[in-house]
Amino acid sequence: MNELLSIFNVELLIGTIRLSTPIILASIGATICEKSGIVNIAMEGVMIIGAFFSTIITLKTNNPWLGLLAGVMFAMVFSSIHAVATITLHLEHVVSGAVLNIVALGLTRYLMILIIGHPGTTDLVKKSLGQYKYAIPFLSKIPILGPILFNQTPIVYMTFIIIIAITIFLNKTKTGLHIRAAGEHPLAIETLGISVSKMRYLAVLISGFLCGLAGTYLAIENGTSFTEGMTNGRGFIALAANISGGWNPIGSFLASLLFGFADSLQFKLQASKIINMPSEIFTMFPYIITVILVAGLVRKSRPPKALGLDFSIEKTS
Amino acid sequence: MKRKILVSIMVVLIIVAFAMTFSCQKKAAKSNMIVAMATDVGGLGDKSFNDGSYNGLLKAKENFNVEVKVVESKQQTDYVPNLSNFAKEKAKVVFAVGFLMADAMVEAAKNNPDTFFAGVDIFVDPNTAPKNATGILFKEHEAGYLAGIVAGLLTYKYSDALPNLNKKNMVGMVLGMDIPPVERYQAGFYAGVKAVNPTCEVISVVTNVFNDPAKGKEAAIALYDKGCDIVFHIAGLTGNGVFDAAKEKNGYAIGVDVDQNYLNPDVIITSAEKKLTEAVFLTVKSVIDGTFQGGTNVTYGLKEGGVGISDFHNFADKIPQEIKDAIAKAIDDILKGTIVVPATRAEAGYKM
Repeated sequence: MNELLSIFNVELLIGTIRLSTPIILASIGATICEKSGIVNIAMEGVMIIGAFFSTIITLKTNNPWLGLLAGVMFAMVFSSIHAVATITLHLEHVVSGAVLNIVALGLTRYLMILIIGHPGTTDLVKKSLGQYKYAIPFLSKIPILGPILFNQTPIVYMTFIIIIAITIFLNKTKTGLHIRAAGEHPLAIETLGISVSKMRYLAVLISGFLCGLAGTYLAIENGTSFTEGMTNGRGFIALAANISGGWNPIGSFLASLLFGFADSLQFKLQASKIINMPSEIFTMFPYIITVILVAGLVRKSRPPKALGLDFSIEKTS
Repeated sequence: MKRKILVSIMVVLIIVAFAMTFSCQKKAAKSNMIVAMATDVGGLGDKSFNDGSYNGLLKAKENFNVEVKVVESKQQTDYVPNLSNFAKEKAKVVFAVGFLMADAMVEAAKNNPDTFFAGVDIFVDPNTAPKNATGILFKEHEAGYLAGIVAGLLTYKYSDALPNLNKKNMVGMVLGMDIPPVERYQAGFYAGVKAVNPTCEVISVVTNVFNDPAKGKEAAIALYDKGCDIVFHIAGLTGNGVFDAAKEKNGYAIGVDVDQNYLNPDVIITSAEKKLTEAVFLTVKSVIDGTFQGGTNVTYGLKEGGVGISDFHNFADKIPQEIKDAIAKAIDDILKGTIVVPATRAEAGYKM
């Protein structure tokens, strides 16, 4: 029993943050996108694009900050394809998202062969964002919370700020409210003279930005290289986290955190050898938690009314 | 109307994407014999398993002027068509790389009796397998055993040799999926550790994925936090995360399949090697010599030079001579047959 309790330490929680950061970012990206009425299943693909370009640029320039910039920018460009397809060209959202996921996998592989000369995995970056770990004076000295929240790497700090910023943005600012209205009753805000398309474009681009950050985190902050398919389904987990979080940034954050916690816990449990189970069950554990969450909580939450619905109006003039 | 156009654009995009993924087939100049290879879903560029096999073909190309063709499998349903296509292109011998391609290779061999098929890491059943299919197996456990001796001695008895070793007498393993070649490495490593250090605790963590470095990192961190100072990874690309963790947590790691030291020279003490290049090359040679044996398995162990342990590189002066002697003795004993390294967890008496 004592041994079981000894797993629940600060390291477990630091691992939780490490594992959930990319999912938190992507799930908040999903939230803001779906709030505007656009279904986005392309997060996985956008993350891969972000991870790829951040690594390539870091390898070429030896500057992870330029890598970060490139990762985020290319992710935004890539996700804008989703915006053009669904908003301007009125394509079914799921179709566009699915296609983008496949394209992202093929494209990164192709570019790897072109740029690096082989697919698979890249060389290690000499400087990663992980080396810019910064302990905030005084705050990092707080027991338990200090090392978890205030002795972190750049993108983790950004994530904390983003959670708060997006919550305020969606609830307190005019543009944020317009985005939400575009997902609830697009005709209403269009008649007020606000462009639904613009709001939806903005939301998709913000989600591209966040997924780009998530990919960059995986490649050059938590890791040191790009590996094909390294997002390994995190984009879809983020989608589930967004739904079980009730289409709400804080909810998405908590659901992602729970997933990261379950994942962190299963590794510690395996290493502790306390429970003897087939390893597959350990691996399934976080996913089962997610399924239970979605099944259990989703009934209480409601998606935006116009989610996935195409919006177009006849311009008479 | 717009919609239809867009759908067709999307369809074209998908086709282009697929075309891109398959466009990496290498073309070569005309020559007498075609030798071909279909990789597993990991694909070329993994800097270990698939690349090692591919280098065997390249070596054959240099030596025998054969034409080399390679295709990468994107999913498991690609296996049979990829293998059969090479037979249609009149390849003399086709390599199927990876345990997961076993059934597909046997099926392709039955459909194409004029082509030789050789499966790396594939066991073919001598009773039922067609005469043109052969399995290339490795005694990974022997390589794991040698790595285990290094880890078992360093972690406790010689823990003064390197600065970041501790006295907790604990070593770890990070596994990709729990498939036979991985289990062989694991069983061998365990036996090696226990042979030189019976009280040492050996802990395994399974990630169930071969291409997710973030999971490998987390698994390794769990082990280092627990008290392990050396972690052996048998996890393909997932293992890259193990090296990251070793660096962050001031631990050491042991690489797998090929000499991985160059990936992270500060933390990778050595690597348990499986000489795919050599095995593939020798198989091509046997086809050319006409000594190719079908319907059976060829096993490459220490004796055949098919497995081994790599150099210590920059650790070489710090590793005590006793450890180097212990390795030499173990190699000797295995060659003489006085030590038989267990190939499964059950034989090794290891409960994960």
